Amino acid sequence: MAVIFDSRTAHWASVPDESLAESFGRRDAGAYEAAYRSFGPRMRATAMRLLRDWDAANECVHDVFLYLWRKETAYSAARGSLEAFLVTCVRNRALERLRDAARGRAANEKMEVREEYVLEEDPIERERIGRAVAALTEAQAAVVQLAYYRAMTLSEVAAQLQIPVGTVKARLSAALRALRRSLIPQVDHGP
Amino acid sequence: MDRSEHIGESAELYAVGALDPAGHAAVEAHIAHCAQCLRRVGEAEETVLALERANAVHAARRDARAPRRLTRQAVAWLIPLTAAAAFILGLLFPRPVPQHDVATLAMIGSHFSHAQFSGHGSAAKVIYARDRSWYYVIVEGRRRYSVYGFAGTARTKLGETVPSGKTSEFFTRSSRAYDRLELRDRTTIAGIATIR
Repeated sequence: MAVIFDSRTAHWASVPDESLAESFGRRDAGAYEAAYRSFGPRMRATAMRLLRDWDAANECVHDVFLYLWRKETAYSAARGSLEAFLVTCVRNRALERLRDAARGRAANEKMEVREEYVLEEDPIERERIGRAVAALTEAQAAVVQLAYYRAMTLSEVAAQLQIPVGTVKARLSAALRALRRSLIPQVDHGP
Repeated sequence: MDRSEHIGESAELYAVGALDPAGHAAVEAHIAHCAQCLRRVGEAEETVLALERANAVHAARRDARAPRRLTRQAVAWLIPLTAAAAFILGLLFPRPVPQHDVATLAMIGSHFSHAQFSGHGSAAKVIYARDRSWYYVIVEGRRRYSVYGFAGTARTKLGETVPSGKTSEFFTRSSRAYDRLELRDRTTIAGIATIR
């Protein structure tokens, strides 16, 4: 559920996430605010995990909302979860910034010493994710560690593991689908 | 990537940000017209969300001037407020940014509402801060309109809409609370919106 301001009744009301997603897809301003309030903290934390910088994480969240606001057809409810879409968007935005910064060694060093934040982890979720990653094949787990958690590019992963880029792609894709089956077990994955 | 060819494993690579800009753009172009691949991308995004759930909600800034430990609930409310303050500070020192960017920043950072214009002109609406500190007018089409604010019987010309893409827009910050906005096409009233 999300909380949205209904201008017709001048009251705040709870709306199902599906309604919020549809309104967001229509670029409804109230839905943008509701999405910001509902999903902003998780988006910010996602960006912070990569950037380790509160202000940069905030900027990433704002960048995403601005980009989507200006791009009329960025999201439709048929895509799936709005929260998942927004978290993915902000992660990709953070990766762009990280890779831009990583082009200079000094920038990397600067980012490593920034500690002005508190990023708490949910130990239960952490363990659940850890189990799902551990259930992958060794080869898949390696590409997930490097490409997802260490934010390496496909070429960097290929060089690190000394395998072709095409193999990295295939392993990463298969790993993500396996993680989905482990982490989102209620979904009907078809025959 | 051929438009008729499904994106396959690129869906997962797209979701984790592993594609280069050309690959990223190709996926976006394909899923704009392919429901099957759009859904696969959506599923991959749900996996990303699942991986991020462990560390998503308890981020907070350390503030040496406020040694009191914040509760999780307090943090959840503080984050939007901090963002709002940052926006307001940014707007006090105007930079040459497009109107809709400024408006979006203001919207994201504050409580707002919206009202439709009624009249014979193009479809139009105004989004406004609930404390009436800013107004953002969006009119369908690229025609320019004059925007007037009414506080009781006092009328003030606020400015003119500016074409932007498929719409014409006007954003203003105001220290005066208006109870009605008018859109005028030269001397003709094209629409009236009541600010509640």
